[in-house]
Amino acid sequence: MAHYIKSPTDRLEETLIAMILGAMTLVTFANVVARYGFNSNILWAVEFTVFLFAWMVLLGASYAVKIGAHIGVDAIVNLVSPGVRKVMSLIAVCVCIAFSLLLLKGSWDYWANFANLPGTEGRWFPTGFEDKFRGKAWYETDDIPMPAILNWMEGAFNDGDEYEKLPRLIPYMIMPISMALLVFRFIQAAFRLLRGDITMIIVSHEAEDQIEDAAQYVKDNA
Amino acid sequence: MEVILLFAMVIGLLMIGVPIAVSLGFSSVLFLLWFSDSSLASVAQTLFNAFEGHYTLLAIPFFILASSFMSTGGVARRIINFSIACVGHFHGGLAIAGVFACMLFAALSGSSPATVVAIGSIVIAGMRQVGYTKEFAAGVICNAGTLGILIPPSIVMVVYAAAVEVSVGRMFLAGVIPGLLAGLMLMVAIYVIARIKDMPKGVRASWGERLKTGLEAGWGLFLIVIILGGIYGGIFTPTEAAAVAALYAWAIASFVYKDMGPFKATPAKAGSAAAILTLGTALLAVPFWFFMEPKAALALGFIMAIGLSFYIARSNNTSTAPTDLASDLIRMPIAFWHRDTVDTLFEAGKLTVTLLFVIANALILKHVLTDEQIPQQITQAMLAAGLGPIAFLIVVNVILLIGGQFMEPSGLLVIVAPLVFPIAIQLGIDPIHLGIIMVVNMEIGMITPPVGLNLFVTSGVAGMPMMAVVKAALPFLAVLFVFLIMITYIPIISTFLPNLVMGPEIITK
Repeated sequence: MAHYIKSPTDRLEETLIAMILGAMTLVTFANVVARYGFNSNILWAVEFTVFLFAWMVLLGASYAVKIGAHIGVDAIVNLVSPGVRKVMSLIAVCVCIAFSLLLLKGSWDYWANFANLPGTEGRWFPTGFEDKFRGKAWYETDDIPMPAILNWMEGAFNDGDEYEKLPRLIPYMIMPISMALLVFRFIQAAFRLLRGDITMIIVSHEAEDQIEDAAQYVKDNA
Repeated sequence: MEVILLFAMVIGLLMIGVPIAVSLGFSSVLFLLWFSDSSLASVAQTLFNAFEGHYTLLAIPFFILASSFMSTGGVARRIINFSIACVGHFHGGLAIAGVFACMLFAALSGSSPATVVAIGSIVIAGMRQVGYTKEFAAGVICNAGTLGILIPPSIVMVVYAAAVEVSVGRMFLAGVIPGLLAGLMLMVAIYVIARIKDMPKGVRASWGERLKTGLEAGWGLFLIVIILGGIYGGIFTPTEAAAVAALYAWAIASFVYKDMGPFKATPAKAGSAAAILTLGTALLAVPFWFFMEPKAALALGFIMAIGLSFYIARSNNTSTAPTDLASDLIRMPIAFWHRDTVDTLFEAGKLTVTLLFVIANALILKHVLTDEQIPQQITQAMLAAGLGPIAFLIVVNVILLIGGQFMEPSGLLVIVAPLVFPIAIQLGIDPIHLGIIMVVNMEIGMITPPVGLNLFVTSGVAGMPMMAVVKAALPFLAVLFVFLIMITYIPIISTFLPNLVMGPEIITK
């Protein structure tokens, strides 16, 4: 694990992840209270929570690259010499960049039509924007009400027709954004590998952070 | 044949250190672009649909959050105290208490490495102090820690339920008897070894002591009641139960145990009075909720909470001055945005992100497999080869034992489950039984040499070389192997409880 001083961007990303998870918990809890306390459901609670969930994981994925928290298999990587390890890790990070680039194209193509924008042509690589497409900006979520602050979107995307529910272009927007961030973070990781700041881009399990503290405790108390 | 290429690619990428999520996702994307006419946009859609279309998975972040709040320190220690008071007086008592504590902690958390870290550090240190060898201590904890994924709630079970679309509630229930059985078997093994080697035994605790430590730990252990009672009482969905558990765990850690939040830095002036007044009102009102108007139930709960807080303030000699109480009450909401709360939310969020990114990408792979009808082809081939249920289960055992060595269990499960599930159904194996077999296999995969995830964690925590941990874990590993064979070939151990509580299962092919 690389240890470094937290920048304002770190703080922002961490707080964002924390806030989304907090909001998910409170909304789900509020829905239970509403059901038993007031005999009514918060209609939009489930759908809203699910979208928050997707936002947290997709946004968090790039942050996890930055702090090197993605889970992987380090059994082989730890066996080989540092030189071989560096080569293997560099190949690995190139694979990651290729993956996130492919997904970036995929998510743009998926999202664009929901925002009345053209998707890209081409199977592997974007070879240009499609000329003809059918905008789907009219497509609304099932239950989430439209907040008044977003009413300008009716003119911008829906020919001035009223949105009764939040249009899907908003929840799906996270796809291209998060994949672009992912590309960026993997490229950053590649440079950190090249410079030798980090030796690999994975950890072997989720509790790795806490082991050091636990080991210290055992040492101090035995 | 293309499928072999697909899996070879996944494994190859894993070996050179590509994150699991990317290995799965990238191989699937290449496969789709090469061999089918799906577009990249449809891959993106599948990725998003991992969340939009799997409401069950939403339980995972909440369970992780609940267990993060419970791991803030005090709960593990209180559970261990309670365990020692209960079983510490046997030969090898502290080791048995360690297993018991792991079982209890497993009922609060859904992860094995987390259980080893939380319980292991305290118990290993404690066992060394009273004269156990480090090896014995490490071997015990390494094995008992694996119960984290078998005793409900279990993240791995939620993943299995989402991947093959069975009920989470059933899976949780199915884990109860096997979990207790495995714990009991480990305890008996320790007791036998302890008698042979004449290991130290502790002082027998009085019943008063047991009650006192039990009540202390009880606030945390009540989480089990919320989760299981809530789900099987038909009060919540598993996802809602997890969210309620998370909020409850936060309240307990901040206001009752005061391990985090505003009352950790500056102690409350009026002792526990503020916590009892607020939480007590809510909790005490719940039983009356069923009989009367919400307002009346709350009023009744409030009156009882006032009485209770006065009684406890008197017996603990804490202040009953209204001003002290008021200042505590005003400070309580700070816990919502206190640094400790935000940090725990972030830690839980980070864990969720890494796990779910793996699962979401594994679902892309699952999508590829189903599209190409791979499970059906394998089923055909297997059945044509005359494979019976027993041979099939052995194959499953072997695949999972090998896979479980290298890989985080939930990711492995999302890939293997859809492959073996249709075959199991064809062969007449109960889906819930299959799920428990898979979970137990992964438990053992975590402690099977040469690699095994829990072995790594334990060697890190105990500060011992890997091989020493492997050797120490071996006797208990043998016990768990016997347990695996029992689970695999005696389905009723897993299916009895869910069928009893929720009625026999209807299998739709």
